[in-house]
Amino acid sequence: MSQNENSPSDPGKNMEGQDPKMPSSSTQGDSSADIESDKSTDVAPICKTRRRPESKPPPEFHEAADTRSPAEHASEAATQMTTAQGGWGYWGNWGKSLLSTATATVATVGQGLSQVIEKAETSLGIPSSEDLAAQVEEEEKADGQSGSEADKGERDSYAVGGAMGMFSSLSSVVQNTGKTVISGGLDALEFIGKKTMDVIAEGDPGFKKTKGLMSRTSTLSQVLREAKEHEEQQTANVTLETEKKAHYGVLFDEFQGLSHLEALEILSRESEAKVKSVLTTLSGEELAQLREELDRIREAFSLMEFDEEEEVDEVKEDDGENFVNGLTDALKKLHISSTAERLGKARKNAFDRITDMKLPTEEQSSVQDAEVTRCTIEDAHMSAITSLAELTARSIEQFHKVAEMLLHSSSGEVTALEQAKVLSQITIVLCKEITLLSKKFTACLTTIGSNENREVLNPLITGVFLEASNSASYIQDAFQLLIPVLEVSLIQRTAASGQ
Amino acid sequence: FVAFYILQYYITVILKFASVGKSCLLLQFTDKRFQPVHDLTIGVEFGARMITIDGKQIKLQIWDTAGQESFRSITRSYYRGAAGALLVYDITRRDTFNHLTTWLEDARQHSNSNMVIMLIGNKSDLESRREVKKEEGEAFAREHGLIFMETSAKTASNVEEAFINTAKEIYEKIQEGVFDINNEANGIKIGPQHAATNSSLAGGQGGQQAGGGCC
Repeated sequence: MSQNENSPSDPGKNMEGQDPKMPSSSTQGDSSADIESDKSTDVAPICKTRRRPESKPPPEFHEAADTRSPAEHASEAATQMTTAQGGWGYWGNWGKSLLSTATATVATVGQGLSQVIEKAETSLGIPSSEDLAAQVEEEEKADGQSGSEADKGERDSYAVGGAMGMFSSLSSVVQNTGKTVISGGLDALEFIGKKTMDVIAEGDPGFKKTKGLMSRTSTLSQVLREAKEHEEQQTANVTLETEKKAHYGVLFDEFQGLSHLEALEILSRESEAKVKSVLTTLSGEELAQLREELDRIREAFSLMEFDEEEEVDEVKEDDGENFVNGLTDALKKLHISSTAERLGKARKNAFDRITDMKLPTEEQSSVQDAEVTRCTIEDAHMSAITSLAELTARSIEQFHKVAEMLLHSSSGEVTALEQAKVLSQITIVLCKEITLLSKKFTACLTTIGSNENREVLNPLITGVFLEASNSASYIQDAFQLLIPVLEVSLIQRTAASGQ
Repeated sequence: FVAFYILQYYITVILKFASVGKSCLLLQFTDKRFQPVHDLTIGVEFGARMITIDGKQIKLQIWDTAGQESFRSITRSYYRGAAGALLVYDITRRDTFNHLTTWLEDARQHSNSNMVIMLIGNKSDLESRREVKKEEGEAFAREHGLIFMETSAKTASNVEEAFINTAKEIYEKIQEGVFDINNEANGIKIGPQHAATNSSLAGGQGGQQAGGGCC
């Protein structure tokens, strides 16, 4: 990493360039960012960092910004960042914009992340993630007592706006897109992600070339495979030190996520070709009718619908039963023989890991001494990344199995459209779970690492958030791969009923 | 389906090949254990194991495709991009042997022409119930240009050899240049190509990665 990478371009600019709705539009934002950063390469990062709080908050936030100490700002923002769950759909889009840049993604998925994030953090002056997460715990306690969560939430979001004036332009973009659920915390995440991209971009000459990654030439599995290979290479190169590091890509492959994704891509591709060839054989009314039906399926897959249904049961967090039962019910509605068993197990593994970590910390709160902690922050980080990789791999496996079953046997009991809706529900459940996991793990990390050096802890926490966001985006991408499969299934059913 | 992963001085090559049925074989190979009762394979399942050929570490990624007829159209999709396949029949059931021709045709038709195919007569431990003679298997293999071996997933007899010999065969084909390793359709994928001297590089700083790599 060279110094250049530290020089951030104007945050406001970047954010404006990024339309959360359209991952591809990040290209525009990037190019403007690139130009900017080219100019400012020599500026010491520190200056920028310091200047950050001065960035002009919109008028209505002025008061808040002025009266609060930076620490407060940071913690408020943190609260938002960690407690916000509503906008995972948004995360996904953000994740996609990450994916839209090959080399950046390679650098972002797991490997080298800490350095990158660290750079991004220092250059941004984003409040330390430790602060953020620490505050969450306190807030949670406080909330429990006061019971006025709604009020608080509102106040917090204002405070965030004030403290981080730079987010406001992003929020307005968000509002313009008609998304209501997204809260400040995710903006912060988005922001970090965006900056991370810039940081990477500046240090990576190949960046510009590879921008259109997710276009025809490259698939998600390729991106992930490259990431994994790079991580492996890294592990091979550097000895013991890196071996302990948690590599998302390698873990994802170990859980066979990559294979399932590849297989799903194969089925999706072949189905797409089939649909096309069927469409060419039809004409007139038949064609119009089929097109209409296919469009309806595509609509059901559009992520925009997610946010609305989403808010409802955010309160119940820990219920593992809910997760499995919800999935099982949904899978039943698909009328294909598929169970949520493996997903349930992955989730259980994740929560077992959290419980294992929590045990010592709970004792600790009474003893008030951190020495009791059995597990290191590296262990906790490893657990977090492992859990995210496992749950994501299982999610993609689930979609792969669904695809196979859809192609294998087309049920007459349910329409393809209904199935599409159920599948989008499943995607919601899965992504929510990813969000929940990342929150839990970062809270753990904060508790465990309360005595640790922030420079060590912060990148780990940010890393968990980023991988969680990536996870959600992989799951959504895998979900999108099901579109052609369902379309083929629809065509098969129509043909069968026609006979 | 088996995919290979060769880590040679940070050069990564992946080959794939298809296997028909017999999840037990795979489990014996990857986990060194035998599990007599298996859930029906739906579509495809996966297994992976590291092996060493010619002093090089190779990761075999195995795609275990469903043997059921009804899944044929799906499993077919997976053949493409495989570098090798294990075609498995059960020596105690003649019908499985009789089906070989269809499966073989299917595999050949939907895969790359260079795909290495090994014919496996499994359950060699059940000698008393044998319905297909070893010689028949050998003859079939000769006729169709396959490698042949009898295995037992239960006793682990020849299981290692079956997978590893197939891997070796593919490896040799790569050495001979038969496989175009730059074409992913052959089931071979190359990772970042960095020279052996790479160990002196300071561990993959940011932007260095993936340069040459896959097509």
